[in-house]
Amino acid sequence: MDSNSNNKKFWKSISEYNNEPEILKNKRNEFSEGVTDDFEPSELSGMSRRKFIALMGAATAITATACSDYRDKGEIIPYNKRPEEILPGTANYYASTCTGCESLCGILVKTREGRPIKIDGNPDHPVNKGKICAKGQAEVTNLYDPTRIKEPLFNKRKVSWEQADNQLISEFKKATEDGVEIALISEHILSPTFNKLLAEFKSKYPTTKQYYYSATDNGNKLNAAFQSYGNYSIPTPRYDKAELVVALDDDFLGVDGNSIENTKNYSMKRDAINKVNFNRLYVIEGRMSLTGMMSDYRMRLRPEAQLEFVWTLINELKSNGSISFPAELASKVSNYTITKLVSTYKINEKKLRGLLSDLSKSKGKSIITAGKNLSESVHVSVNYLNELLNNTGNFDYNNFDLGASYASYKDFENLVSKMESGKVGVVLNLDINPLFNLPADLGFGKGYSKVKTTVAFTLENNETSEKSKYLLPINHFLESWGDYRNKTYVMSLQQPVINPLFNTRQKESIFLTWVSGEAKSYNVNSYHKYLLENFDTAIYNNSSKKTDNKSFWYGSLHDGIVELNTTTNSKGVFNTGSFGSLSNPAVKSNFSVYLTEGYFLGGGKFANNGWLQETPHPVTKITWDNYVSVSPSTAKQFGIEKDDLLEISVNNKKLKIAAVIQPGLADEVLHIEFGNGRKVVGDVGLETGVNAFELISKKNTESNFVLSGAEFSKTGETYKLASTQEHHSLDDTFVKDFHKVRKIIQEGTVNEYKKHPHFLHDEKHEVFSITDEHKYTEVKWAMAIDLNKCTSCGGCVTACNVENNIPVVGKDQVLLGREMQWMRIDRYYSGTPDEPETSNQPMLCQHCDNAPCENVCPVNATNHSPDGLNQMAYNRCVGTRYCSNNCPYKVRRFNFFNFRDHFADSYYENNLTPLGNNPEVTVRSRGVMEKCTFCIQKIMDARQVAIKEERPLNGNDVVTACQQACPAEAIVFGDSNDPESKISKYRKHNLAYHVLETLNVKPNVTYIAKLRNTHSEEV
Amino acid sequence: MKKTVLDYTLKIRLPLTLFVIAASFVITFYASRAERDSVGYTPDQPIAFSHKLHAGQMAIDCQYCHVGVSKGRQATIPSVNICMNCHAVARKDKPEIIKLTKYYEEGKPLPWKRIHKVPDYAYFNHSVHVNKGIDCASCHGDLKEMEKVGQVKAFTMTACLDCHRKPHENLPYLQKVNNGPENCFACHR
Repeated sequence: MDSNSNNKKFWKSISEYNNEPEILKNKRNEFSEGVTDDFEPSELSGMSRRKFIALMGAATAITATACSDYRDKGEIIPYNKRPEEILPGTANYYASTCTGCESLCGILVKTREGRPIKIDGNPDHPVNKGKICAKGQAEVTNLYDPTRIKEPLFNKRKVSWEQADNQLISEFKKATEDGVEIALISEHILSPTFNKLLAEFKSKYPTTKQYYYSATDNGNKLNAAFQSYGNYSIPTPRYDKAELVVALDDDFLGVDGNSIENTKNYSMKRDAINKVNFNRLYVIEGRMSLTGMMSDYRMRLRPEAQLEFVWTLINELKSNGSISFPAELASKVSNYTITKLVSTYKINEKKLRGLLSDLSKSKGKSIITAGKNLSESVHVSVNYLNELLNNTGNFDYNNFDLGASYASYKDFENLVSKMESGKVGVVLNLDINPLFNLPADLGFGKGYSKVKTTVAFTLENNETSEKSKYLLPINHFLESWGDYRNKTYVMSLQQPVINPLFNTRQKESIFLTWVSGEAKSYNVNSYHKYLLENFDTAIYNNSSKKTDNKSFWYGSLHDGIVELNTTTNSKGVFNTGSFGSLSNPAVKSNFSVYLTEGYFLGGGKFANNGWLQETPHPVTKITWDNYVSVSPSTAKQFGIEKDDLLEISVNNKKLKIAAVIQPGLADEVLHIEFGNGRKVVGDVGLETGVNAFELISKKNTESNFVLSGAEFSKTGETYKLASTQEHHSLDDTFVKDFHKVRKIIQEGTVNEYKKHPHFLHDEKHEVFSITDEHKYTEVKWAMAIDLNKCTSCGGCVTACNVENNIPVVGKDQVLLGREMQWMRIDRYYSGTPDEPETSNQPMLCQHCDNAPCENVCPVNATNHSPDGLNQMAYNRCVGTRYCSNNCPYKVRRFNFFNFRDHFADSYYENNLTPLGNNPEVTVRSRGVMEKCTFCIQKIMDARQVAIKEERPLNGNDVVTACQQACPAEAIVFGDSNDPESKISKYRKHNLAYHVLETLNVKPNVTYIAKLRNTHSEEV
Repeated sequence: MKKTVLDYTLKIRLPLTLFVIAASFVITFYASRAERDSVGYTPDQPIAFSHKLHAGQMAIDCQYCHVGVSKGRQATIPSVNICMNCHAVARKDKPEIIKLTKYYEEGKPLPWKRIHKVPDYAYFNHSVHVNKGIDCASCHGDLKEMEKVGQVKAFTMTACLDCHRKPHENLPYLQKVNNGPENCFACHR
């Protein structure tokens, strides 16, 4: 490994690595092709220039005749009876729980005049501690989605709730009398009260059978936990405790497990500012994941070989005496040696030996984890290896015991045969989409259509609800009550922050009505009451009872959580037999399809969310689509180029999908992310990618998502993927060694830094200004981004979108380079395409003291404020785009259209979606430039408070949206004139640098150089 | 012949036309200035509320009704229940109060005519001004004398900047006052 960063050549794509003429041309040009194309006038508003002038004339004439009259300014309508807590213009925050996935993060919902406009993490929540992922942030759009179902439907016709309830209750009664099954399919239900309610439902209708199913399940991990420890509770690795982390295809910083909790813990061990206490991360993976990008050492290995890999580790550790291994099992693993692994899978032997010696040195201080898509055997072996290395102290065993695993394909086969033979009377789908997610060869769809009564609980129409007889629209979680518990020590409460927007009900209260057997028994508060009663009996009565139950409830509701002092789960005893009974790994050759969860679409659930569709993929930076990734050597071998449409066939199923050449991908792996390709979905999600679930089969019993024996062929067609990767490129090929001279990415290793802390700033150069410098006497805003911590998860990008009313532009516009996100995360590769190292860098407006954009604005729409902000006055901008042309960081975004009107037939221009806008930020229209403002609305809010309290504004009063969202706390913001502030400390740090420092534009965003924790002998 | 016509057009008609256009523009510009700036705009309100009576004679503090003025950006028009704090008992027989009570009891929105308006892209903040000790009257005129409220001062960017630049002249009653911010982000975001 080449550790001296200053000799590294950085590249962002394979074509750039090969210096292809197209890329060179793009880099030389200021704007990418198409971005400055003329408008198609017919696509603009229908009014011609002549007509416009005629109308103007008419308007002037009317104004002239009416000029003695005043302009009407409309009305102000105050509340009739103002709720005491609501003051117009002032935000309220309510604690609740996000149920977007099974992580169940505590959230604080910001509401304005009763409308939720932003979701932040709840700082009091012990698990996510004030942070929330991109998906959670974008949930606001789901609430205000115009395609939400507004009425209950029966056979696609409107029906009243009462009628639907009556019919269904009689169906349940009939099913009970006939002794046919009522199948209830849902994800794991983590609400104690809802579980209690379902138990009541089951006792009332005893033929009910529950099936747990999730598109993004971690069933293999769960089953392995049961095999090894005898309970259905997956231990959480405590990355803040371990010195060595070995991730086997485990994207724990991305989508495996609770990424917020993991990122928070992991980043504690990446602190370059105070104590340099780096852990070492090895990632062994077949794909290129977000976690892989963060690794210190990364090895490529196809997913089927992971079992062999673990057994090799066990065998080698046994051989060198690091672990005591039972003799009777020795023969099981003795065949698996490094030499064999290296020769079969072409793993880098040096790295592998390094891993082994690290593992033997850090016994009890390491964590080995495996990804949820790997087979059960890998997980059992990994559990065992952690036991052998005494690593169990680095795990948290407080996850709630789920009590049951997910339904297997076998269970579903039984269900389908029962459906076909009429032994199932009712199927209830609780907010899931099995017709999209389940393997087609299970025949679930066919069986489903034969069931007399099928019910879908859903927010929006989907593949399953379309084929269901009853469609019951449910509340969004921002409109619902609930209690949730996935850890033993905390209960997270959910409260509605807005009345249901449509004629919807929360799913729990629908069940409550059914349990009562009386359709009329429903009222809006029925589940609220039920929840309260259960809370009193289950929680309050077991608490220390310092207050009465009402105050206790309101206090808990205010905090959003109840800390429970139940006895913590202890780790079960490892069952060695679970390892002993594993069958030997089968050697696989030839191609295999590897499916993993897409980063932002949650298995298809969020397909209709434009913000998430448009967030660039953390690795490939592709938006709006999924694709098949192939390794560079595979691409070379078969002559595949980016955007080539390949036909993949596996399990006798075929799928046409566009190709991406992914550096660092294992050879013979075809990696596809699932979640795209929904067919029955709102306008936003239509025609975005292909459905990778079509490839899975019930035959894949080992792992649903590793499909061996795949073939592919080129179709000769191409499909254009919209990647933001080469847009807004900072490189300049005319300057040799640009990254060194221009200091875009600077890196080092931990050992280098410890020996020589000033290594970044060895070359001192005096830069001076030819004009007088402006003096900043009071607060001066600045930001620092710690590249050691940033995982490029995209949370900041979404937070910025939500906070600053950033529009969705659509795939056609992204292709032209017109994406509007104020923040982008640049990704640079270095090294070879086969074994690249990755560097990430969030890039946003640098608020330069000598900003080049300001000098060229002909109307002075962009200029500098006395507190160091590069300000942008939209109402002054005339859209010359000179500023964008002159910006060295390429962070300015131009409204080529009124994107709200332009995107998807004005999808976001209706009465509903603007309710989610932040009223403190202007909604920009066509023809104006925009860019990061350092969240000026938050600065002004803090200033308002400071003035009220008659004190000077303090830099710590302001937390920008990206900073608030960052789970790794990589972003620091504050007053750089305050010598005591965190930001000043960061700016003066040895690892601090500014991008393009030599231009002397004096940026106010400081980057902390990334250190890699590699072995010292390589320095 | 033709030459004279051209001469006449050039020498007399054109200057005359230009003069009439320019003069009418200048006169309209100055004559309609107040109206363009809305100064003097005094619309009829759905309920004939008198500031002169409430704020003047009875000397009720502004903030009793305009509750948001020291807390946030908006001063807020009082919600109907604030009126009813007193009028549930006081003057129940007066026609305007009967109207008011009707609004309250029916829960109907009370559509007050908007008098003061800054453009959408300007984010004026009441609380920072009021908390600095600036009197309402400095912008809104002497409401204690107004039977019916109208706009007294122009709410233009010039007006804002004039006070931000010369606070001592415009706010002589403030002992300690600094210049207000003049940068774009102070109002626009």
